[in-house]
Amino acid sequence: MRSELLKGLRMLDLADEKGALCGKIFADMGAEVIKVEPPAGCPSRRIPPFLEDRPGPDRGLNFLAWSAGKRSITLNLETADGRDLLRLLAQSSDFLVDAFPLDYLDSLGLGHDALAELNPGLIHATVTPFGDRGPGRNYRAADIVGWASGGAMFLMGEEGKPPLQMSVPQAWLHAAGEAAVASMIAYYARAADGRGQHIVVDMQACVVWTLMNEQAMPLMHGDYLRRSGVFSGAVGGRRKTVYRCADGFVSFLIAGGPYLGSTNAVIAWMKEEGAAPDWLTREGGLKALTPSGFMAATAADLEELDRTEAVVQKFFLGKTKKEMWANILKRRMFGAPVANAADIAADPQLKARDYFVTVEHRGLGRPLTMPGAFAKMSATPIGPQGPAPQLGEHNEEIYGGVLGLSAREIVELRAVGAI
Amino acid sequence: MGRLPFEGIRVLDFTWYAVGPVTTKYLADYGADVVRIESAARLDGLRLAPPWKDAQPGVNRSQFFASFNSSKRGITLDMSKPAAREIFLRMLPWADVVTESFTPKTLRNWGLDFERMRAIKPDLIMLSTCMQGQTGPHRDYPGFGNLMAALSGFYHVAGYSEDEPCPPYGAYTDFIAPRFSACALIAALDYRRRTGQGQYIDMSQYEAALHNLAPMLIDYFATGRVLGPAGNRSDRYAPHGAYRCADEDGHERWIAIAVADDREWSELTRALGAEDRGGRFATMRARMGDRAALGEFIGAAVRSRKAGELTAALQGAGVAAYPVQNCMDLHHDENLEAFDFWRWLDHPEMGPSPYDGLEHRMSRTPGDLRRPAPTLGQHNDEVFREILGMDAAEIERLRKDQVIY
Repeated sequence: MRSELLKGLRMLDLADEKGALCGKIFADMGAEVIKVEPPAGCPSRRIPPFLEDRPGPDRGLNFLAWSAGKRSITLNLETADGRDLLRLLAQSSDFLVDAFPLDYLDSLGLGHDALAELNPGLIHATVTPFGDRGPGRNYRAADIVGWASGGAMFLMGEEGKPPLQMSVPQAWLHAAGEAAVASMIAYYARAADGRGQHIVVDMQACVVWTLMNEQAMPLMHGDYLRRSGVFSGAVGGRRKTVYRCADGFVSFLIAGGPYLGSTNAVIAWMKEEGAAPDWLTREGGLKALTPSGFMAATAADLEELDRTEAVVQKFFLGKTKKEMWANILKRRMFGAPVANAADIAADPQLKARDYFVTVEHRGLGRPLTMPGAFAKMSATPIGPQGPAPQLGEHNEEIYGGVLGLSAREIVELRAVGAI
Repeated sequence: MGRLPFEGIRVLDFTWYAVGPVTTKYLADYGADVVRIESAARLDGLRLAPPWKDAQPGVNRSQFFASFNSSKRGITLDMSKPAAREIFLRMLPWADVVTESFTPKTLRNWGLDFERMRAIKPDLIMLSTCMQGQTGPHRDYPGFGNLMAALSGFYHVAGYSEDEPCPPYGAYTDFIAPRFSACALIAALDYRRRTGQGQYIDMSQYEAALHNLAPMLIDYFATGRVLGPAGNRSDRYAPHGAYRCADEDGHERWIAIAVADDREWSELTRALGAEDRGGRFATMRARMGDRAALGEFIGAAVRSRKAGELTAALQGAGVAAYPVQNCMDLHHDENLEAFDFWRWLDHPEMGPSPYDGLEHRMSRTPGDLRRPAPTLGQHNDEVFREILGMDAAEIERLRKDQVIY
């Protein structure tokens, strides 16, 4: 069932992987999202890794994830007939999202101004790496380049080793999610006067927004943060944030401030099990732990925290991730297992909320299970609306049903390479 | 031009820390009247977190708090007191939206669940956002986005190897969830406009964040493969990584480079002036076949180069590259500057302060940071007079009783 939330709204999705999440969010909310693909298929179909490591246009995991619930048509923008078809589609659409180089659509006569003449209500979002005004307006950017440009990469990794990105790249997702929010804002604005507009999303700025305001630190405290592996490097000292346990790792932080109760709870737990040295449990608690500050202030405090981390680490080595998580929940400590896909798939919390959704993928002849609704909405439930489409799967439905072309016209457009 | 999209939309905003405030900031920067309800009895932790004006802490000196709360007004009510809850309920008919981000039991303990509020304001939209959602065995789990980043799998795919995890910086999932919750909230406003019907939105930061790892989860469910950390290795690009350039003024410099195909590879070698002897790395298969040797080759070719100049040269040759920027570099970045990203706002206590601007720009109804973040309770007099018609004496009495607190 299509969600009622955005039912009746149509988005033309011309974006490759750089903007794919935008259309995915709209599809989850009930909009009809039409993925407009070149005859050879969207390049995002060819992004590894593939299901069972076997390449194929319907097997790319990125494509399966972020095109789920979209329609697919083939349309060759490099032909005049193809461009006419896009103009027709734009006339009956509410949204368009693209991630082309900045002047590409303009060069085809399909830029926002041209399309707005045909459909003044069209909301058009363009996902760019570095905005539309600076020297980098025509720069190319793979995900890792965006992660580097926005400051996130410099903060990930060990000192003395290369800065890192995650092995599921993230930078474009932030930009595409931002395109979705901005498109929704522009849609709300459209109700006032029926007019759409053009939105430019800047991926680099989106990555800066993930830095927790560390970006203001050099201006206000005089220096910039260096990456420090599993240590948190905020002002006042380095605190360990990842501990090894019996079968993996857990995230945990020993500190005062908001972490004070949690730190005292782990000390109490160690005491119960006879694993706490006397100095750790002495009257009045650790000197380093203050209720007001995030971090300790003096060298003696820091030394005390280092010693505490060492005995806590030793204690955790005897616990499994599962035991750690059970105790974190029971004792209300601030911690979490470093979960992998298997842990997440088995999480009783997600099960209790029926989070994961399984859809049948006809082309693959198998069901696929994927993340479900990103929000539970009481009046208008949302969530994945189906599998990722096969290339051109909805040509007849869209060209025939939406544009009203006859079967013969569709055959002719195919023959001239427009479809 | 002139009218902002959300002018006339009113929000009573109990959210704190990051996810909620960043969500309601989208509304505030686009014209909604967002009133943060805070309390000195239960301070938003970000007010205490650095960076601080002049590196000195104080409840009105945190830029961490300020950056997430531009364009909003601020009042204080100590909701643990029945009189404060009464005042809130009197304000409720004024509002279109109520938002909160406490653990689920908090509002229930105050007797302020959605049903109670809806009885007073039938078309209310309410957004609750917490770590793991309003239902389920772990609903009352308290935590921060850094822990959520571990629980939702990001820590596991970050590191040089399985044995050497290196997490993403900070409370990473705090900066994924707001884009999802803002979409849901704005769509709910639109649905109400069309149908007259409000609704309740239950956001789990965990469930939103998992969308950013969807390929990994689909893979696991389909094949049982558990994806782990792989350093900067890519199955799509080679070379792909960060490479050390020449130090500048005693600061280490790196450049990120990604090469998508063999044509780009020959452009890269030409721009670097590095000879790939015998075409050892001429094909993607060859480059992926010996990533270590490839890394050494690129490393040697860029080690004495300046990252900025090299970026211009490589981008000129059509190769994706950019310096790995530290937080100071961001303030000198000409692309962010051209996008007009950094905004300086004059805060009543902090003075001119560096705010992050918007990550997008609209052609016709551009949003903006309309005012600096509120100091604690800055708009008490104004808001209580305006919404409830309170006079100065009543406000003073409530202050004295620490209801307005």
